Amino acid sequence: MSHFQRGEDGYSLDITADEAEILINLVEQLLELLGEGDFFHHYNSDDPFAQLMAMPAEIAPPEDPVLLRLLPNAYADPEAAADFRRYTEPALRGAKQRELRMVREELLLIVDNHKDGRIEDVDVDTWLKAINDLRIALSIRLDINPDSFEKFELMPDEDPQKPLYAVYYWLGWLQENLLSTIG
Amino acid sequence: MPSLSSSDNIINMVSNMVKTEAEVDIEQLLDKPWVTIVWDDPVNLMTYVTYVFMKLFNFTRERAHQLMMQVHNEGRAVVSSGTREEMERDVQRLHEHGLWATLQRDDKI
Repeated sequence: MSHFQRGEDGYSLDITADEAEILINLVEQLLELLGEGDFFHHYNSDDPFAQLMAMPAEIAPPEDPVLLRLLPNAYADPEAAADFRRYTEPALRGAKQRELRMVREELLLIVDNHKDGRIEDVDVDTWLKAINDLRIALSIRLDINPDSFEKFELMPDEDPQKPLYAVYYWLGWLQENLLSTIG
Repeated sequence: MPSLSSSDNIINMVSNMVKTEAEVDIEQLLDKPWVTIVWDDPVNLMTYVTYVFMKLFNFTRERAHQLMMQVHNEGRAVVSSGTREEMERDVQRLHEHGLWATLQRDDKI
């Protein structure tokens, strides 16, 4: 089973090819889900025309519950929430995309080799946030609640959702492992 | 150095002091009545929430743990207060870390 460790000048992740494959699939699915705002990088452009064109009059709250949880309303008041979203959602979305892409790049080294390996120079903060976003996404799809673990344990092996639950709890273990490694 | 011999002077000084304090209070009421609230969810690990609080707000481990437990047990906790702009920044950073956060005027003031 994969785990993080502290080296002399940073952290590394030992990971099996199978686990890297599972993780990269999840990362790519979440990137696809986040992808609808892909052109918002113009916000960060210095070109005033690009900034003007890229600034939409309004950004509706996401309809997908996963996106609504990852890009939540900052205010209970809908008008204030809409105003905040208009100015901040592209940056938030972009930050999550960047982190997932970084993790994907690192996982690709393992996946392309088709064998277990080590990812060196793990950026702890990026990995923590990316794993957390994956867990949030899965939790919404699986409708995770405090009783879910018991449900998972009692689930028959042939239940098609069982592997997804397993991945969800494995990600929790992996995140906990990274947190305890950094102390 | 002003002379304190006349009572008028003393009254002036005191009233100036009171005025200054009152102005500061009004300023605080206008500028500081916003809070950032973190809400409980069944997903974020307790250790991760503590880590995020320490990182974003420079809390000691004890303080971060205490606030995390408050979120866990009471469903929500105020993690910071200040101007609206400051709270918007805090909420944005919490969202970047996947925590469920909102800002609002502080009802208690």
